[in-house]
Formats: sequence, structure tokens, C-alpha cells
Amino acid sequence: MTDYLKLTSYFAERLRHGERFLSDSLLDLYGDHAVATSVVLRGIASFGPHHELRSDQSLSLSEDSPIAIAAVDVEDKMAGLADQVSAMVSRGLVTLERVQLGGSAPTPDAAKLTVYVGRQDRDDGRPAYRAVCEVLHRLGFAGASVFLGVDGTARGERKRATFFSRNVGVPVMIIAVGTGRQVADALPELETLLRQPFFTIERVQLCKRDGELLAAPTALPAADEQGRPLWQKLMIYTSEAALHDGVPIHRAIVRRLFDSRSANGATVLRGIWGFHGDHEPHGDKWIQLARRVPVTTVVVDAPDRIAASFEIIDGLTSEHGLVTSELVPALVSVDDGKRVGGTGLAQYGY
Amino acid sequence: MTVAVWIGVMLLGGVGAVARFQLDRAVSKRTARPFPFGTLVVNLSGALLLGFFAGLALSPHMALLAGTGFVGSYTTFSTWMLETQRLGEERQVVAAFANIAVSVVLGLAAAWLGQSIGAAL
Repeated sequence: MTDYLKLTSYFAERLRHGERFLSDSLLDLYGDHAVATSVVLRGIASFGPHHELRSDQSLSLSEDSPIAIAAVDVEDKMAGLADQVSAMVSRGLVTLERVQLGGSAPTPDAAKLTVYVGRQDRDDGRPAYRAVCEVLHRLGFAGASVFLGVDGTARGERKRATFFSRNVGVPVMIIAVGTGRQVADALPELETLLRQPFFTIERVQLCKRDGELLAAPTALPAADEQGRPLWQKLMIYTSEAALHDGVPIHRAIVRRLFDSRSANGATVLRGIWGFHGDHEPHGDKWIQLARRVPVTTVVVDAPDRIAASFEIIDGLTSEHGLVTSELVPALVSVDDGKRVGGTGLAQYGY
Repeated sequence: MTVAVWIGVMLLGGVGAVARFQLDRAVSKRTARPFPFGTLVVNLSGALLLGFFAGLALSPHMALLAGTGFVGSYTTFSTWMLETQRLGEERQVVAAFANIAVSVVLGLAAAWLGQSIGAAL
């Protein structure tokens, strides 16, 4: 069985590498190496170890949006790229996670299924991402969110979105959370539904669903037996218009984590379509007051800081929200030359 | 003469835009509430300033430079509307209406105050 790795980098949009924007340089690198799939997402709010808050709520603060880039390919290729990428990022976060390619391995108890489709892919006239969400909803998945990529690679080919173009093949990322059984049921359906399906499966722990606490994130040790540090990732799926105490939940989470300094960083991504809980998949309509789109807040940190952050997040997601926890085996955090962590993968069975 | 005035309007317009950006960012970074205080401060100070210039009864050239050139590009109607709409998107209805009401009421007061100060000088 070939092992696959997902390399994710988080940084600010205006960050440069030499004369060019870092995101452009990274995608050129992924294009040159024909990375199987990669996608550039623009976030709506974030902060990092430098403790500078970014948000699209004010026009002046939104001119430097957060960026998250995920890239998946075989372990050898991605391990080499991880070293290059972490050397190129002068301020930001780089993580490496183990993933399985769809159908190639037994599925864990709870799993995160990520499906990559093209922006213009269609099934029976409607966008492919809607068809995928319908299948996942019917199978009882805990949630699914669709994110629009602005750049990326698909099957090793560079696909960049431009203004005057139909943007065929520009990657769209669908992140879904369900049981291993549901993922196993979904795969054959998605294989018939999609023309050239590409999906990855990752092990996750379901912590909260619809605000109900199922389990606190597993307490991981600070390092594995070889002394390589372990990291942990929380993903919080909410609706953009779901409020806690009058404030959208994702804004409240970022604000509280920022003020309490319990986490070193967080990034919020806004989806275009999706569901969590029992309601039908939904997105924007032509005439509406509040947007009905999903948002996902990502927090990656050391296990003890994740435990502290989860306490805050638990309080803010008392009525809404799906929360998952994952093990992150390698992380590099860079803040103006100060580097924490490394790209060596930790080994830990739990 | 007129060419010099138009060039002056362009330059002061640029200065006004940069001043707005810097002030908006500085205020937004310092406030904890998800409310567009930055734009509010910019628009209120702009209304005060424009009222002040009106009260001074400047010469036409100076009025063009200070009012249309500087204050015109310093204050922003479009950002005010965009940020209000964004509050609505996230169902912050009270904050959205407050953003409009507070801007209008305090903006009128600021313009009146500026004009009174200008006229008194």
C-alpha cells in the first residue's frame, strides 16, 4: 500500500517569497512536481503566533486575507516538498498529515472524507458538489462543507482560476465527516457519480455534534517515543449565521482564542454549500438577508493548548456546531525566523 | 492656475485615501467588538472636518482642494454600506441598523459642530 501525505500551509495572502506572492510560488512548485491534487483557499478570519488578527469584517483589515493551501500526493514526494515549503514560508504554519486514498485501506471508526471535484463538473445538469452533498446527506454523514479553490492542481496539472474564464477544472474541496461505515457506503456511489473521482480518508475523532458533547479530544502526549512532538487539530463546522450570545460562533471562537492566548493561531474558511446536523444541504440564494453558508474554523496546536482551546470552543458551541479532533504528526510554525517543530513525522497509535 | 488646482485635488485625494486606510486599520485592530468602528471614526471625523471647512467659508480653490480633494476621498459611503451589508449576512441585525443610525445621527451632529467651530473662528 502506498502511503499518502497531505501538506497544508497557512499564511497571509500578501506574504512574499522573493519578488512574488508566496501562494503563486508554492503553486508553481506543486505544478512543476505534478502534485496529484492541491487547492488554494482564501479564509475570512485568522490569527497566528505574531498575534495579529485578520478579518473580512472591515474593508481595511480584509486587504490581507488568510490563505490555506492543501496538497496531497505520495509520501516520498510530499516529504521532500514539505522541507522546501517550510523553508519558503517566512511567517505561517505548515503541517503534514497521513491520508489514505479512497478505497485503498480499511476505514477507521470516524473518518473525514475529502472529495476533490472541478468547479464546472456536473452531474445531471447540477454542480457535482451539490450531487456529492446530497449523497452524503442521504447516507447520514454528520456534515459536509464545500470550499471553492482559487488555484490548485488536479491530477498533476495546474488549474488556476481567472476572472474571464469558465474555470473548468479549478479544484473544489468537499470535506465531510461520518462513520467508517458511511464512508465505505459513499465511495462506490461517488465513483459512479463523478467522472474522475479523487478522494482521501483521514482518521478523526467526533467531539461534538449539533452542540452535543460526545467526547473531549483524546489527550495526546507532548511527544512520541522517539521524542518527536505530537500536534493536534480541531475543526469546528458551523453556519455563518449561527450566533452565540449575539455574535457569529466562528467570530466568537477566533476572538476568545485570540484574547485568551490559549491557541497560537486559528483560521476560518467560508464554504459555498453544505450541511451539518439534520437539515438539507444549503447555500446562498438570490434574495436573502443572512447568508446560509457553512464556515469551518481550524485550530492546530500542541495537545495541551488544544485541550485548553477545546474548553473555550465547547462553551461557544453549546447549541450548534460539529467539532472534530485529529492527530497531526508533523508541524512547522514560523514567525519571522523563529521556527518551532519540524517535518519529521511522529508515530503514535491511539 | 486651474491645472495646478486639479493636480492639487489629485494629490490631496491620494493623501485622503491613505489617511482613511491607516486610521481605519488602526482603529479596527484596537476594537474587540465585531462592529466597523474604523469606518465610523473616519466618517465622523470627515463630517466634522468638512463642516469646519464649510464654516470657514474658504475661497473656491481652497474649498475644492480641502473639501472635494481631501475630505471627499477620506470619507467613504461605499465602505459604510458594504460593512453594513456584511453585518446583515452574519445576522447581526442590531449591529447593522445601529451602524446606519449611529453614523447618520452622530454624522449630522459632527457636521453641525464643525461648521459652528469654523464659523466662530
